[in-house]
Amino acid sequence: MISRPIRGFITVALSCAALAQVGAQDPRIGNKLDAPSRAALRALVDSARAQGLPTEPLYEKMDEGQAKGADGPRIVAAVRSLTLEMASAHRALGTVATVDEIKAAASAMHAGVPAVELGKIKKQSGLRRSLTLPFTVLADIVSRGVPVEAGVNAIRSLVGAGAKDADLSKFQRNVSVDIEQGAPPAAAAETRAKGATPAAKPEEQY
Amino acid sequence: MAEWGRTTLELVVEELQQPVRLDATFERRVMVRVRRLFAQRRRHRRGWVGVAARVTHHPAWAAAVAASVVAVVTLGVMRTRPQVLPLAAAVVEPVQFVLVAPTAHSVAVVGDFNDWGLNDSALVATHHQGVWSVTAPVPAGVHRYAFVVNGKEWVADPSAPRSAGDDFGMPSSALVVEDSTK
Repeated sequence: MISRPIRGFITVALSCAALAQVGAQDPRIGNKLDAPSRAALRALVDSARAQGLPTEPLYEKMDEGQAKGADGPRIVAAVRSLTLEMASAHRALGTVATVDEIKAAASAMHAGVPAVELGKIKKQSGLRRSLTLPFTVLADIVSRGVPVEAGVNAIRSLVGAGAKDADLSKFQRNVSVDIEQGAPPAAAAETRAKGATPAAKPEEQY
Repeated sequence: MAEWGRTTLELVVEELQQPVRLDATFERRVMVRVRRLFAQRRRHRRGWVGVAARVTHHPAWAAAVAASVVAVVTLGVMRTRPQVLPLAAAVVEPVQFVLVAPTAHSVAVVGDFNDWGLNDSALVATHHQGVWSVTAPVPAGVHRYAFVVNGKEWVADPSAPRSAGDDFGMPSSALVVEDSTK
C-alpha cells in the first residue's frame, strides 16, 4: 500500500512529465492547425526521421499547404503521401541518393513513375551523375501526358548517352512546346530524345 | 570402490542425506545479521519518505520539485531527439523569376525557399511593360515555387517544369538550382 505523501509526490512528478511532453511541440508545425492535425504531422515527422528520411521536405509541404489555405486533414494527407513516396524512393535509390534526388524521385512517383524504374535509372547512371534534374524532367513530361514507359525510356537513353543537365532542360522545354502545339506526348518525347543526346548532335564543321 | 557390495555413488548419496550439524550459535548469528540489514534499509527508505512527505506538505517545495522535474524531462526529450537531416550544402545562387502578365497589378514569387510567403517573405516582382521579374538568391537544390498574381491567383511558371507533388489544387513549378562551386 502506498502512503498518501508518496502518492502525492508521484502524481506531481507524472503531471510534470506530461506537461513537459506537451511543451515539447515542434515549433515548425503551424500553430494555426487543429490539435489532431498537429499531432498527426508530428508523428509523421518522427516516423520519417526514424526511417532516416529527410524531414525538411515535410515541413516545406506543411508551409505550402498553409500558404495555399488548405485545412489540417488535407495537409496531413499530403505530408503522409510525401512521406510514403520518399520512403519508396529511398529504398529504390539506395543510401547513396542525395536528399534532392529523393525529393525529385518522390515527385516523379507522384506523377505515376514506379520506384523500380527510378532505381534502374540510378543503377544505370552510376554514382557521379546527379539524377535530380532527370527525375524532375521525368515528372514533368509524365504529368504532361507522356506515357510512363515512353518517358522512362527517353530519360534512360538521355542519361545513358551522357546528356548534361542543360541538354535535359532543353529536352523538357521542347517536349512541352511540342505537346502544347498538339503533338502526341509519346511521339514528342521519343522524337526529342533522339535529337537531344550528345551522340545524336551533328559534329561541328571546320 | 565398493564397500560391503555397495557402489561409490550410493555411499555419496548416503553421506549427502545425513542432517547438517551446525554450530549452536549459527541461527542466532544469522538472525542478528538479518535484523541489522533490515534496520538499515528501513532507515534509508524512511529518509526518502520523509523528504516526499515534507515536499508534499509545503507548496513552495512542491513547486520547486515540479520545476526540476519539468527541466530534467524537457532536457531529456531535447537531448534524445535526433537532428533533422541536413539538406544540400548552403550554396546560394542568384535566380531570376520572370512572368509575362500585362494585366496584373502585382506579382510575387513564393516557394519552399522563402517559406511559401508565410511571415511576409514573398519576393515582390517589378515589371517592365508587363514583364514581371525578380532576382533572388536561392539555395542549391530542387525547389517548388509559384507566382501569386494580384495577391490571390496562383500561377505556375510557364517556362519551368511542372512540379508533380501534391499541390493542394494550385499549380507549382519545379526549379533545380545547380551548385556552381562543383
